[in-house]
Amino acid sequence: MTAIGANLPRSDGEAKLRGDAVFGVDLAVPGMLHARLLRAPVPAGIIRRIDTAAAATSPGVRDVVIGADVPNQRTGLFIFDTPCFATDYVAYEGEPIAAVLADTPEQAEAAIGKIELEIDEQTPVATPEQALAPNARPVHPSWAKFATAGGIEIARKGNVVAEIVSDPGDVDAAFARADRVVEGFYRAPRQYQAYLEPRMALATYQAGRYTIQVSHQYPFRLRDRMAQVLGVPKSALRIVGHHIGGGFGAKLDLGLEAFAALLARRAGRPVRMVNTAEEERLTAPCRENATVRIRSAVRDDGTILAQDVEVLFDSGAYANNAPAMASIPMFMFGSIYRVGTARIRARTAYTNTAPTGAFRGVSGTYLVFAAERHMDDIANELGRDRREFRLASLADDGHRMLNGQALEQLSILRRAFDLVEQRAPWTEQGRGALRGVGIAAIVWLTNPAPGQATVKLNEDGGLMVVTAATDNGSGAVTIGLRQIAAECLGLPVEQVVVTMPDTDVAGYDGGSQGSRTTHVTGRAVHDATAEVRETVIDKAAAMLEAAKEDLVIEDGIVQVAGVPDMRLSLAEVAMAATFSSGPIAATASYATPPPPHDPERTKGMLFATWPTPTYHVHLAEVTVDPVTGQVTVDRYVIAQEVGRTINPDAVMGQIHGGLAQGLGYALWERVDIDGGRYVQRSFETHGLPLACDMPAVEAVLMEHPEPAGPYGAKGTAEPPIVPVAAVIANAVSDAVGAPIDEIPITPEAVLRALD
Amino acid sequence: MTADQAIAIRCTVNGEEHTLEVGPGETLLQTLRDRLSLTGTKEGCLEGECGACTVLVDDLPVDACILAAAAMDGRRIRTVEGLSTGERLAPLQQAFLDHAAVQCGFCTPGVLMTLTALLEQRPSPSPEEVAAALAGNLCRCTGYRQMIDALLAVAKEARP
Repeated sequence: MTAIGANLPRSDGEAKLRGDAVFGVDLAVPGMLHARLLRAPVPAGIIRRIDTAAAATSPGVRDVVIGADVPNQRTGLFIFDTPCFATDYVAYEGEPIAAVLADTPEQAEAAIGKIELEIDEQTPVATPEQALAPNARPVHPSWAKFATAGGIEIARKGNVVAEIVSDPGDVDAAFARADRVVEGFYRAPRQYQAYLEPRMALATYQAGRYTIQVSHQYPFRLRDRMAQVLGVPKSALRIVGHHIGGGFGAKLDLGLEAFAALLARRAGRPVRMVNTAEEERLTAPCRENATVRIRSAVRDDGTILAQDVEVLFDSGAYANNAPAMASIPMFMFGSIYRVGTARIRARTAYTNTAPTGAFRGVSGTYLVFAAERHMDDIANELGRDRREFRLASLADDGHRMLNGQALEQLSILRRAFDLVEQRAPWTEQGRGALRGVGIAAIVWLTNPAPGQATVKLNEDGGLMVVTAATDNGSGAVTIGLRQIAAECLGLPVEQVVVTMPDTDVAGYDGGSQGSRTTHVTGRAVHDATAEVRETVIDKAAAMLEAAKEDLVIEDGIVQVAGVPDMRLSLAEVAMAATFSSGPIAATASYATPPPPHDPERTKGMLFATWPTPTYHVHLAEVTVDPVTGQVTVDRYVIAQEVGRTINPDAVMGQIHGGLAQGLGYALWERVDIDGGRYVQRSFETHGLPLACDMPAVEAVLMEHPEPAGPYGAKGTAEPPIVPVAAVIANAVSDAVGAPIDEIPITPEAVLRALD
Repeated sequence: MTADQAIAIRCTVNGEEHTLEVGPGETLLQTLRDRLSLTGTKEGCLEGECGACTVLVDDLPVDACILAAAAMDGRRIRTVEGLSTGERLAPLQQAFLDHAAVQCGFCTPGVLMTLTALLEQRPSPSPEEVAAALAGNLCRCTGYRQMIDALLAVAKEARP
């Protein structure tokens, strides 16, 4: 093995360092026009009048479009609730109402200001609590009539978008047997992905087909969603992906692409659109704000007899992937700790706020915050050491989660606790000592969505990997897939080229989400490369008149083991094959099969299993300043299970980056909503982590190779963010001697807790 | 923009002399990207907050998105495209590659310019000084650690 576990550089690194890499916003084509959107200025209201006459005659304007001008059917991932343009009513501030196409962006912007808009403002349904209140105004009056993808059944109750209830029926009896009941209520805000490159689209329409050039995490989903919106076959769309200036989940669904495509078709010219920074702040699919109520039935000996969990999260004005995310609480409770029995009720509600969506570690960040804060609450209530209580409650290998799925390697967590302990021995300072320590454990998944790779051996012996997998920065494609292919065939990694995504060229790929690329697409790359290798060996064996089993491939050379003279370069084999039997290439596909589980327990869940689990423990030591309320993270220790490390530096990059996002979420980042409107509208007011905010990090990688993964690799990128808020909140709660059950933990909150 | 509103400036960009007619509302970022096709300097927030458009003007890092092009008369401007000459990467660029300090890469050009200025002013900075220098450059991917390590490695290498 040479390529696996090696710190080899990313293939797009040099271009990015020279400023040569072309990101979506760098794209331009001859003859392109520019469009801007008129966005709703209020969170809720009835649209009385839209007059575009003055805008249409504004200088440079080519077209002005409102809902009535285009197919404006409601579409969506699960619930078909989202129109292209708001026509009758506004559901959130920033919702598109009209589009202007002009020769320059400035002309389009000027014309937007000339559209006359009359809206009768309504009191917004601003929070999930308001949405569920009796007599709450329905955010969507025709909600009962919205169709669903594949006809999935969604109960229509008031503003409830989706509800998952799992009730084994024995929870109340367990509470009746308890010595005590510990109750907690935990609250988390939205989190903005804060990618630096705004969302954009460059669309052309020619001869019945649309080409969309874009920086997008999931080109095939974009293709499918655009087909819905435009009412055209999927094959009428070609999505060409370019370098992505950050996404973290925000570039997984539709952004501006459908607007650009509609306008390009009408104008017969290419159309470019880019969001402004404020538009991004208003419309990004933030991580959802949520509340979690947990009641635990506990015996004095520390046995947890039952948990009763209520999760309520904010879908915003449209459902997006919220119906699927309502399943995730089922995997965050009763999974790693023995809790006897558990009742879970997860609801998500429509509000008059921007639709929420996916952000690295979807839902897990606040569910783990709640679950692990609650473990501290129970330990403190019982007077137990918080780490020791976790170890005593930790389940064993084969423990079944609430969906009936067994966690066969759960004992990895015990090892993770040990590894953290070796580096940072657990020492309770005493509650309220202004120094505190926090610890938390998680099981996270590797997203199972399918991938495909075609691997071609070029006539010069170079290897070309054709895939629609996207690299949103992690290196999963530009590092991971290349190192896997290089290792499998036996050639230097510099000779492996991976294509940029193009839905016309590459097979379906499930996108950069849920840490899936290295594991799932990596497996497809491995299997396709293995087939190429077999063909090479066959061909070389014939050429060298040697037995196949005697041949090895190393460093791009096929040779008879131990006989250095009997050798061929991959180029010689490829050339000979190409002009005799034909070019050497192979295609392989992979999707993670759903792990065995109990379908009776997952009724109604759109996300029923927790595939390819990984195990992680984080610990933080903090100091709080009793005068300023500032929290300083003195030390942060991580034990992360990765299956197999393909590239240690790249894994560390995911750990540092995930931790930074987690610390921001726990301590500094603000996404406040006041009357349905976002309060912070710029990076400056947002509170993103800066270089000087980052603590020292010590991370240990644990390797437990997963047979289904390429060289044993599992997902890596998401877990580092998931437990951070829990760990920090536990440490700060310890330091101040009072529970901190809401994030971000502001200096004001710290000072209040110290009072 | 009519021609009579244009303002004539002379400046150097990456060592090359330019005589340009710029608009009164034109930013340095627009000049670099739209007139000179230097798209390595990134267009991020356009509000002077993210730092993706950082360039050096007379050796100081500035946000090109909020700087008037008309004010660049007589100035010496450096962008990411000017960091290396020919095939070889500049030591800081190579160190970024070797330390896996690049992820999505959108902040990278601006970060490189900020750190280039730092190295010129303080050849042996402390880790804290590096972090402080990066206060105007947001990076959402890396957590900054590998960038700081890359710079410290270059500084160490350059030390006699």
